[in-house]
Amino acid sequence: MSLKRCTKCILSENFPRISFDEHGVCNFCTDSLLYTTENEEIEKAKLEIVRMFDEKRGKHEYDAVVCYSGGKDSTYTLKLAVEKYKLKVLSFTLDNGFISPVAFDNIQKVVSKLGIDQITFRPSYGFMTGLYRFSSIDNIYNPRVLTRISANCNSCISIVNNLALKYALEKDIPFILAGFTLGQIPANTIFYKNNYTFFKESREPILKKFREKFGPDVSRYMEISERLLKNTNDFPYNINLMAVEDITENEIVEKILPLGWLKPKDVDGCSTNCRINSFNNFVHKQRYGYSPYELELSHLIRKGLLSREEAIEKLDDQPQDQIDLAFKELNISPSHDFRLAPK
Amino acid sequence: MNKSLFTKDNIKAELIVFLCRQFLVDETDIDLEKSLVDTGIIDSMGLIEIASFIQKTYGFKVTEEQMNRQNFGSVLKIVDFVEREVNK
Repeated sequence: MSLKRCTKCILSENFPRISFDEHGVCNFCTDSLLYTTENEEIEKAKLEIVRMFDEKRGKHEYDAVVCYSGGKDSTYTLKLAVEKYKLKVLSFTLDNGFISPVAFDNIQKVVSKLGIDQITFRPSYGFMTGLYRFSSIDNIYNPRVLTRISANCNSCISIVNNLALKYALEKDIPFILAGFTLGQIPANTIFYKNNYTFFKESREPILKKFREKFGPDVSRYMEISERLLKNTNDFPYNINLMAVEDITENEIVEKILPLGWLKPKDVDGCSTNCRINSFNNFVHKQRYGYSPYELELSHLIRKGLLSREEAIEKLDDQPQDQIDLAFKELNISPSHDFRLAPK
Repeated sequence: MNKSLFTKDNIKAELIVFLCRQFLVDETDIDLEKSLVDTGIIDSMGLIEIASFIQKTYGFKVTEEQMNRQNFGSVLKIVDFVEREVNK
């Protein structure tokens, strides 16, 4: 049986705290739940970002580390950083073992075309597949922090954020840029100071679970060493440039095509770089009853940047061969039941 | 800004409304005396969101030094912190 969805956006009946009015419109459309469309916040962020860049540009070895996955949003972020904001950037890619070969080609072509330095870091395949297996099976995160992200993406992004911060601290780089859009992040986190000491405290419970499972390897990927922290006077700002851009997916693709970017065909409708994403969505949907992309796509619909039909098409485009591949690589039985045990 | 409105009760009520709307929880899910992180209501990004909400609603900047467990360790601690700052 198909899920009941909001008639305006695509949030479904299993989404937390959802309700529908007599026309089938959800309370996220009518009541602006969540702090994602605060125009005042976005306008303020636009000005502040320009001010911060102007203040720091050209004073360090690099102005910014850009977290670059090879997907369309981070490619556009890289282009904005270099061409619009005139920053000297260091591009950083986490090779999680599941990046589409076409996305890898995109990375090489785009950094060459933009003339920038690039670092790729590949954690051991055994660690990454173990991390994904653990994140998929062991229900390690509270569902409340997974309304807009799958458990595996959350684990992977923790590594990306940590390594980007490590490079920024090692090289005294004042900004870390990522390609998150509004819908993926709330409007009040478009930019923020990376207060690592406090973050570490708040991440301790989850780090403890990872340490218990994987041992000291975890600190290499998910923590900043005490030695580096001791030599740090100031922490960088994290900035999501895409969150202040009103642009459709087609317009983004149009702008990055001249850089040699091509859309990979071996990924799902919600990703333009990662071959494990369809599996992550499958697990999330089986466990919680909704897709981790519903919130982001619904936001784009409300902003007029995506049609409802296009959004549903993206959710439905989840290639079975990619899901099967992940089951095999993570050594999980295809019949595994990811649903939460009844309380 | 009318500081007389910034009583602990008002701040607590506004903060709870924000938490429920922003993090999709019911009021009954929130233990006022426990850490929002430890009880799984928020992750580290949630702390940024709360600091930003405080800044916008109460008109003062939360400094890096103030972002600690003593000030953000529970809803009641956040309320005390905000009340102290707005009435400085």
